[in-house]
Amino acid sequence: MPSSLTALQGQLSRRDKFRAYMQAFNPTAPARDVIEAGLVCEDLHQSLYRNLAARADLEPGSQQLLVGGVGSGKTTEMLLARRWLLAQAHVLPLYIDVSKATDLGGLNTGSLVASLGLSIAAHLAPGFKDYGPGGKLKAELGGPFDKLWSYAYGKFERVYVAEGDDFPDDFDLDDSEDEKGHYTFKRIPGKLRPPMPSLEREIQDIREPLAEFLSYLRKTQREIVVIFDGLDRLLDATKFWSVVHQDLRLLRQLKVSVLATAPLSVLFGAGVGQSISDHFDRVHHLSVIASGPENTSLQSVLEKRRASELLNLQEADSICYYSGGVLRDLISLSRDAAEEAYVSDRDSITADDVKKVVHQLGTGYLRGLGPRAIQTLLQLQNSKSFDVSLPANVELLLTRRVLECSSTDFRVHPALLSVIPQPEPKRA
Amino acid sequence: MPEFSTEPFFEIARRLEVRGETGWLAVLSPATDSTAALDELQTELQSVLQKLTRVIQLEASTFEKLRDTLHQPDDDAVILSGGAGLTPEKWRTLDIMRSALERKGPVILWLAPDDIANLANLAPNIRSLIGGSIFVAGPDGGIMTETERQYRLKQLSEHFGLTGEEVVRKAEARELPHDPEFVEWLVLLDRGDLV
Repeated sequence: MPSSLTALQGQLSRRDKFRAYMQAFNPTAPARDVIEAGLVCEDLHQSLYRNLAARADLEPGSQQLLVGGVGSGKTTEMLLARRWLLAQAHVLPLYIDVSKATDLGGLNTGSLVASLGLSIAAHLAPGFKDYGPGGKLKAELGGPFDKLWSYAYGKFERVYVAEGDDFPDDFDLDDSEDEKGHYTFKRIPGKLRPPMPSLEREIQDIREPLAEFLSYLRKTQREIVVIFDGLDRLLDATKFWSVVHQDLRLLRQLKVSVLATAPLSVLFGAGVGQSISDHFDRVHHLSVIASGPENTSLQSVLEKRRASELLNLQEADSICYYSGGVLRDLISLSRDAAEEAYVSDRDSITADDVKKVVHQLGTGYLRGLGPRAIQTLLQLQNSKSFDVSLPANVELLLTRRVLECSSTDFRVHPALLSVIPQPEPKRA
Repeated sequence: MPEFSTEPFFEIARRLEVRGETGWLAVLSPATDSTAALDELQTELQSVLQKLTRVIQLEASTFEKLRDTLHQPDDDAVILSGGAGLTPEKWRTLDIMRSALERKGPVILWLAPDDIANLANLAPNIRSLIGGSIFVAGPDGGIMTETERQYRLKQLSEHFGLTGEEVVRKAEARELPHDPEFVEWLVLLDRGDLV
């Protein structure tokens, strides 16, 4: 019988083993950290990031879209593209997660350009100190910087209000009255601070100061590639397009290469989707990854993270299958199965652990589905029939209940399918 | 209809602890005494994770306020409480700002059971982070050994002057008070379905 000390050491070792595994399978870890830790299979999508980056490098002003469902690995591909571009030395790739910096839901025309301008300014002078009095960049870029800053964050303008005019809500207190009227300060809101303003100035207002920054950078022979991530959060294609189209036109004029993420509705939604696709030089679709005897890409993802420490081949195959080829679900299921094993005091993952976590994931997808949606899913499963032009079906794609293996091949998420109540057979 | 796993708060905290104190999960609040249960979850998380645990009301937060609150500091545990029910618009806004919500410390979404449909339908980006980590708040008792369970059952029986069979009969007849001790008793008897 082990002594109490030996038992305690064994417990610590087991805990350490599980924690190490959990860290490798953390579905919420920032993609940048995962890449740096060497846990990413870079050829998972046939090295798509190289295609993205090479075209952006070779064709200044080109615009490419990366379309994919939630959890498909878009951010990872974008960051890999950024790393590749950085290695080329003559290109300056600027990665901007728009949704992190500002309220994407309230964005309007000009927001992307404002983000890019500030990103360039910050690259040249971290903390923006060099644009002020006595700063190194004051003489060359002080003026354009002031314009960029007020465009992004707003400014006050002194205006004259005639006597008897109503006070708009956004007027500040008067400080200079006379008999016929008075001067006051009106706040002109910026593009990057909620609540977002309605468009008050033409986007062309910002063209000149931004062009000055670009020209300054190009003196050092560095072309700009801007990577706009986070735009895929705008699930509705119309909203996505209303935010980006004016900004992208300006960036094309300025010969800035653009890589941007976009939601699946751009590919499958009726109406605006096609015109968006037509605008871009190239649209890349990051579909789910097939799993089966002929394709072991998903198993490679698990092996890269040393899943075999806790997961045998059979359970690994099971997790790959039930992930549906959605990368984040693959990572989540692998982590959750280990968690089940840990809290159940087992030393490795069993079939029961996998079954339980698949049930949990499937139930999460099932909640919120009405009888009609379930009928659609069962129909897809039985007859492979799925009308992607219907808005309700696009919703099923956006919420990952239905997965796109290609632009014409759809299937129900396997974890969801495993918990859908099957209809009772009709009695004769 | 398939159900999510029911877990006592201690087990939920233990799951977060082994993850390395990061990550997201959702806890569905009980239908009654939700406020007391939220306090209990906060206490349990602080105890197991050994770090400050804050409760943030989602309904009252703007984008900037929520982003700042989550990152000052960004390594403690936070419980984002959905309150009485978030509007569809608020759910969509939260989903869009998912990147701004990402942080080092764990995030626990505290939701009413009905809110899980909104999470799945209106916030697929957040649902994706949570994955299958959705648990129904359950009474404590899950980590007891069989000996401990028998001891606790004996304690309850002696205290209330009832046998286990009598408690089950009263619960089936809807004559059992909704006191926490009786809830615990039924769960220990593996009759949580009567709660």
